[in-house]
Amino acid sequence: MATEEIGETKASSSLLTAMREKLALKPMWEKLTWTWKPETKREAGDAIVRNFLLHWFPAKVSLESLSWGYSFWLGTISAVLFLILTITGGILMFLYVPSVERAYLSVKDLEFSTSYGWFLRGLHRISAHLMVAVVFLHMVRVFLTGAFKNGRKAVGQNRPLNWIVGVALLLITLLLSFTGYLLPWDQLAYWAITVGTNIASSAPVFGDPTRFILLGGTTIEQATLIRFYVLHCFLLPLATFGLVSYHMWRVRKDGGLACTEKRYEEAKKQEQPAIASKTYSLLGITGGSAVDVQNVMIDDEKDKVPSSPYMTVRLAVVTLATLFISILLTLLVRAPLEEAANPAVTPNPAKAPWYFLWLQELVTITTFTVGGITINGALIGGIILPGVLVAAAVLWPYFDKSPVSSIGKWLPKERKWQNRIFLFIVAAILILTFIGTYMRGHSGRSICRGRNGNRRRENSDRARRAIRDV
Amino acid sequence: MFSKDAIKLYVLGLSLLVLTAFVFFRENTTDWRDYQAEFRDLVTEKFGAERAEQIPTGVQQIWVKDLDRVDRCVTCHQAVEWKGLETAPNPYRTHPKGILEKHPLTAYGCTSCHGGQGFSTTLPDAHGNVEHWEEPVLGQEVSEAYLIKNSKALMEMNCNACHRYDRETKGMDYINTAKNLVEEKDCRACHTINGRGGIIGPDLTFEGEKPTEQFDYGRLTGRHAVFAWQVAHFQNPKMVSPDSIMPNFGFSSQDAQALALLVMSWRKEQIPAHYISGVQLRDVPTPEEIAREKEMLEGDGAFFVQNKCFVCHSVSSLGVNSAAKIGPDLSDAVVDVQNRFGRTLDDFLMEPTGTMSVVLATQIPLTTEQRHQAIALLKVAYQRKLEQQIKSASPSPTPTGK
Repeated sequence: MATEEIGETKASSSLLTAMREKLALKPMWEKLTWTWKPETKREAGDAIVRNFLLHWFPAKVSLESLSWGYSFWLGTISAVLFLILTITGGILMFLYVPSVERAYLSVKDLEFSTSYGWFLRGLHRISAHLMVAVVFLHMVRVFLTGAFKNGRKAVGQNRPLNWIVGVALLLITLLLSFTGYLLPWDQLAYWAITVGTNIASSAPVFGDPTRFILLGGTTIEQATLIRFYVLHCFLLPLATFGLVSYHMWRVRKDGGLACTEKRYEEAKKQEQPAIASKTYSLLGITGGSAVDVQNVMIDDEKDKVPSSPYMTVRLAVVTLATLFISILLTLLVRAPLEEAANPAVTPNPAKAPWYFLWLQELVTITTFTVGGITINGALIGGIILPGVLVAAAVLWPYFDKSPVSSIGKWLPKERKWQNRIFLFIVAAILILTFIGTYMRGHSGRSICRGRNGNRRRENSDRARRAIRDV
Repeated sequence: MFSKDAIKLYVLGLSLLVLTAFVFFRENTTDWRDYQAEFRDLVTEKFGAERAEQIPTGVQQIWVKDLDRVDRCVTCHQAVEWKGLETAPNPYRTHPKGILEKHPLTAYGCTSCHGGQGFSTTLPDAHGNVEHWEEPVLGQEVSEAYLIKNSKALMEMNCNACHRYDRETKGMDYINTAKNLVEEKDCRACHTINGRGGIIGPDLTFEGEKPTEQFDYGRLTGRHAVFAWQVAHFQNPKMVSPDSIMPNFGFSSQDAQALALLVMSWRKEQIPAHYISGVQLRDVPTPEEIAREKEMLEGDGAFFVQNKCFVCHSVSSLGVNSAAKIGPDLSDAVVDVQNRFGRTLDDFLMEPTGTMSVVLATQIPLTTEQRHQAIALLKVAYQRKLEQQIKSASPSPTPTGK
């Protein structure tokens, strides 16, 4: 009896140690790296199983997912741009001073005396503009391929949720760019933010408080600069990082890119109807129905390749190409820096950042007077219309009733009208942005009208203090 | 697919390498390097290789914290403070010496007088004739553009930032002329300038601050710039602004230019007070304090005020009152000294001990004669005190009824 007891304790203690060993959490760095010289088979196995990097990508990917023509790799390009921005931004944080007295001077220093300062600033600026454009294009791609729709391939799919995360990421990208716009503290920055935040203030009830909170007061001053700086360098990048991580995880969880649904459907058609051969459930511990194991036979090997090296090399190509284009543009386009911010001198025209110019145009178009009553364009064009657009984007997947067979295909017939409406909105945004960027001159008048007079006036305005005229 | 991608990877890698080389090239080929090399050659030729080796390399700058300026002009203009390069071509010329002695580089930098963009290390940017920079170098180029005879006249506009309260400043001929005209034509009859003047015309105290957007160039032929507008306006006010009631004084073009420079110099510059000529940095005593000191200087105790004894001591019987009252009242010094030191006043003042020995040795060096004078006066003071005491002790005359 006594010996049995001892034996039992021994057994349980050895089990305990085994469990402890199993549960022992390795430090983070060991999860991210792996041993090159495993001493036991277990260690070799662990090195694979517990490694984050080796689990980032699936073991095998379909050729369609890798193709250039389906996704244009726009999501990856956005992520690479975000990486470039994080690195250049991190270095810039050491060189930039977020105070109204020093901000402009520190940017001048970057331009003229800091080693490679012009390059860092230029690359950061170009990558930011590119990121706004690429994230937008990524959204367009996802919509036009119906990739926000759930298919039947994987259990627990929630592509609509991932689409909403994407919409949030687009808004955060715009905010990141907008907050960064103020930091050089020049005329361009100051007045662009003035225009942008004035649009925000026209919202009913919440408008003025929103502007007050955003600016840290009623005028753009030191309180605004430090707010925008903290948002730009800390909170928004943190949110982006978190959401992008979730976005990527969801892509895996949803069974990969939407284009892979197609093959699943095709395979399903060819095969005999699937028979639920067996159900697995976790002893009734988990809620919901059990996992159906269906005997749909898809020859995975036929159209799949190992992620490494096929995907990793393509990833490297995309990364290098993005870097190449960003650096090339940095060398070709000089980052502008206007006069130091001067609240007393309003440049004419004062324009919002280019990606908000379509909003500014909307505000202009929707401001009109009927019989002595002026319609507030800032409310309609600046708040209601964009608000409706965002709401529509968020809700769209839940009203989409197109068949599953249209998922993952470019411009399918089944979704003709959806895509037409979407493309109309995209075109409208692009056209308004174009008009706002290139066709608005002095006093908001179209440059086409009285071109010479307006241009000349604009030029003389630039030489503020007098002695110099352009 | 893999091999195709691998080829793309190599091509991109190589292209990036080329781009990186180009970035490196752009960073390291700037004009200032060429100017510095040329300057070293010039010095080697003129003063020998040893001297040339001492020339600093890299971006040079003058940081004037008080004026919040960083001037990197000396990166190329390296000879500014050298001797013997007075006739060398720019940017290797020595700066005229006289003006630099009064306005040292470390306290003024370059751009506070010359204009230009001090941060810059590239030529067009540094000289400021670029977009988005409002203060170009005020030199020959701009002067010629505005037909100003003296190419240094424009700079006077910047000089006047500190010298605005001077009636006349050596070397500022245009501004001096303009200031004289302001008095001569009595501009203040209509305009307020520096807090003085009429209200018929606009206040001109910060006229130079008015941005170009606020000027109407509609009736201006030629250049559209504030300077041109001001000159035209001084020559014929009604021509550029028809509603103006300012009389036409018939200024010559040079006078009009001088006046334009003057009004444009009236800016809200952030200049520390000790830079501004004519501004006294002291706390002015109140009129009461001045009156009291004057009264004490005219009374019998004037000696003690003149020689600053009153900083510590009152001599109340002679009407001298110390604000601090650090030492004892000297009205009864004759007996007090005897009590404190066991010596007579005469003896003590001739050879003082303690605090007084230090004060008289360092701060109030009295001659023997002055000491005798002090002793005599203190005896009078004691006498006066005794008299005052008797007067106050005797009963006041009873008031008579009717």
